[in-house]
Amino acid sequence: MPPSTGRTSTSSYALRRLLQAVPVVFAILVLNFLLLHLAPGDAAQVLAGEAGSATPEYMAQLRQRFGLDRPLALQLVLYLKNMLALDLGFSFRHNLPVLALILGRLGPTLLLMGTTLVVSVVAGVALGLLAAARAGSWRDTLISILALVSYATPLFWVGLMLIVVFSLKLDWLPTSGMETVAAFYEGWPRVVDIARHLVLPALTLSLFYMALYVRLMRAAVLEQAGMDYVTTARAKGLSETRITLSHVLRNAVLPVVTLAGVQVGSLLGGSVVVESVFAWPGLGLLAFQSLFARDFNLLLGIFFLSACLVVVVNLMVDVLYTLLDPRIHA
Amino acid sequence: MRFRSLTLGLTVLLAVGLVLAAGEAAAQKRGGTLVMLVQPEPPTLASYISTSGPIGQVSSKVYEGLLEYDFNLKPTPGLAQSWKVSPDGKTITFTLQKGVTFHDGHPFTSADVKFSVLEVLKKAHPRGAATFRELTDIDTPDAQTAVFKLAAPAPYLMMALSGYESPMLPRHLFEGTDIKASKYANAPVGTGPFKFVEWQRGQFMRFDRNPDYWRKGRPYLDRIVARFVADSATRTAAIEKGEAQVGGFAAIPWSDVKTLARLPQIETTTRGYEMSSPIVQLDFNTRKAPFDNLKVRQAVSYAVSRQAVIENVWFGWGKPATGPISSNFAPVGFYTSQVRNYNVPNGVEAANKLLDEAGFKRGAGGIRFEIVHDQTPYGEEWQRYGEYVQQVLAEVGIKATLRYEDVPTWLKRLYTDYDFQLSSNWIQGLADPVIGVHRLYHSRQIRPGTVFVNETGWSSPRTDELMDQATIELDPRKRAALYQEFQKLVVEGAPLVWVHELQFVTVYSKQLKDLIVSPLGLYASFDRAYFDK
Repeated sequence: MPPSTGRTSTSSYALRRLLQAVPVVFAILVLNFLLLHLAPGDAAQVLAGEAGSATPEYMAQLRQRFGLDRPLALQLVLYLKNMLALDLGFSFRHNLPVLALILGRLGPTLLLMGTTLVVSVVAGVALGLLAAARAGSWRDTLISILALVSYATPLFWVGLMLIVVFSLKLDWLPTSGMETVAAFYEGWPRVVDIARHLVLPALTLSLFYMALYVRLMRAAVLEQAGMDYVTTARAKGLSETRITLSHVLRNAVLPVVTLAGVQVGSLLGGSVVVESVFAWPGLGLLAFQSLFARDFNLLLGIFFLSACLVVVVNLMVDVLYTLLDPRIHA
Repeated sequence: MRFRSLTLGLTVLLAVGLVLAAGEAAAQKRGGTLVMLVQPEPPTLASYISTSGPIGQVSSKVYEGLLEYDFNLKPTPGLAQSWKVSPDGKTITFTLQKGVTFHDGHPFTSADVKFSVLEVLKKAHPRGAATFRELTDIDTPDAQTAVFKLAAPAPYLMMALSGYESPMLPRHLFEGTDIKASKYANAPVGTGPFKFVEWQRGQFMRFDRNPDYWRKGRPYLDRIVARFVADSATRTAAIEKGEAQVGGFAAIPWSDVKTLARLPQIETTTRGYEMSSPIVQLDFNTRKAPFDNLKVRQAVSYAVSRQAVIENVWFGWGKPATGPISSNFAPVGFYTSQVRNYNVPNGVEAANKLLDEAGFKRGAGGIRFEIVHDQTPYGEEWQRYGEYVQQVLAEVGIKATLRYEDVPTWLKRLYTDYDFQLSSNWIQGLADPVIGVHRLYHSRQIRPGTVFVNETGWSSPRTDELMDQATIELDPRKRAALYQEFQKLVVEGAPLVWVHELQFVTVYSKQLKDLIVSPLGLYASFDRAYFDK
């Protein structure tokens, strides 16, 4: 938290924080640009490499079109100029504007990561609370083992095993993709179809994140249970359930909110592993492939949006703190 | 008696004929959606400016070429119903099919041919400048006739006119626009059996049946959907579950093909890659020690066991290679196995002897010298291949350190900086040696910054001369003789190790018939494919 002078209102605080973020985002842009250009090889070579052959004239044409024949400093200036106009540029590889490419992937990314976030936080908080309430019991042990196993197992393996069990053996769910491509459903059947495709990837990711929240929540609840205010509440004659739900939970959930904030920050990045295994059309895989294709305009666009999202989410988490714990002033 | 048996014979023959005819008519059922796995997702569908495999697998359903090819690598009619090459080889007259329209209803004419070849392919296609180098102009005396005028004979040109290699584009949509930035790169309009409908990036592309296709009654399928699944294990699962019906090239990893092939509903084939003819290689940098020494190169050529690589790395798919030209060119006579044979049982022994002769004595730990071995960054097989090479080199006293970088870095190292000693690689021989093979061996093809050309630095006046002659030789027999001498010389000089002819496997549903009908394989239009359910 930055030092605050007295009782500034939440909105002016938010505004100030946003203004402070502008130079940060700018620095990120320059740094990203320079770092990416350290990588050997360029987009023209990759395209020609994929084509399996090329003439020197063809290579020169590509480089000229992509602007790769200009000095790096000039490329950087042009890039920053475009960014000032909020123009994310053009992906020559895809022959499409960067913004269009990103927007196309944004929906599926948010759907998958949003579902994951909700499922993992809710399940993590509930299980963590349950484990802490009877610390040391068989229930606690079971939940802890579940959390450890799902955290320690590699994501791709969990994903593949879920496909083998639920898709190949039981035949309940589709293996991959976001919808049944041969069917082209419309309306409600399409919603159901997408939901069925969402189950396995969301489950794979949720198991992983949930494990973190369970561990965190359990520790926080146990820590809070020994506090003076709990003793006071108990002395007041409140029931254990009441104490847990209205006093302990509220305090214990703070670290979970912090971690969830970090997770939201990486939402836009998607998950390369889960997106590859389930062929989910997310931004993570797009960014990953852009790197290997040296499609820097696209990659920088994704980085820019991620940076903005991180700034905004951090701000939202700070505001949420003040709501959960009025002692924290904005 | 004789008469009766004759009538009986005739009756039986007639009956068989009728049954066959009826079977033919009934067999090709209309309808169904074919889902094919294409890996990786193509960046665009601009097959006129990129020959990238995934682009070709989908664009070939929309764009057609003047010619198609049969399994003997002979041209068959495509958009051109007939053609005539003049005796001096400098004029080729194509007569186009009648009643062909583009998907937007615009008629296809010789003006489209002229525009596609001269304005697009010759100027912007990665291989176009080489393929159409001798082409000076195209005359269009009428809408159905296109006359190619050449400065010198170019026999290979006739092999490069498929819908994958040289797509015919709608002039009215491209003319006057920036070809490389055309919006039709992502929404192609062609003459083919399937029309482009939509592309959901990261997921699929959809192509619907073209009801006005010029081959009446075709295609039989209602729709083709190309799906993109980044993970190989998931692709295998999708085929197993029947969510997709076709996966070719390396979409299904060789390690999974055997498992899938055991399933009753799955068929596999290695046909349909005869115009790709990929060869797995080890490329030497012949400029630098130790591989500037012929004996060292020959030693490594002897040391590598072709069979071991095929069996252990590519799960049995592949055929030992003998030299720069694939045995797929045997039907046209270009291929010969009468060259120095490095594929001998006692290869390691031969290699050790040559290295001793070259003066590389074994030092401490039995090591003669150390090298860095670069690996083709195309996936697991290539890493295992590198590990095998490392082991076999150790047996002959060469200590190899493996290096695996990403694709752009590796390409730059090999083709721009020449900063390598020994690298694995694979190169497609393509439809004609002039297009696919010369680029690796001709002195003029030592071109820094251009990928998949001569990076080994091999250069010899005699082989240059042979290639130059073969480029313009019209008589197939004389051309074959030139290539046979070329193969002898290059194999003797060993600028690289030709390990094996890579065999891709197409895995597909048994219900799917007439899928692979030409050497173009998955690069063909699928106009004859149908489901027999």
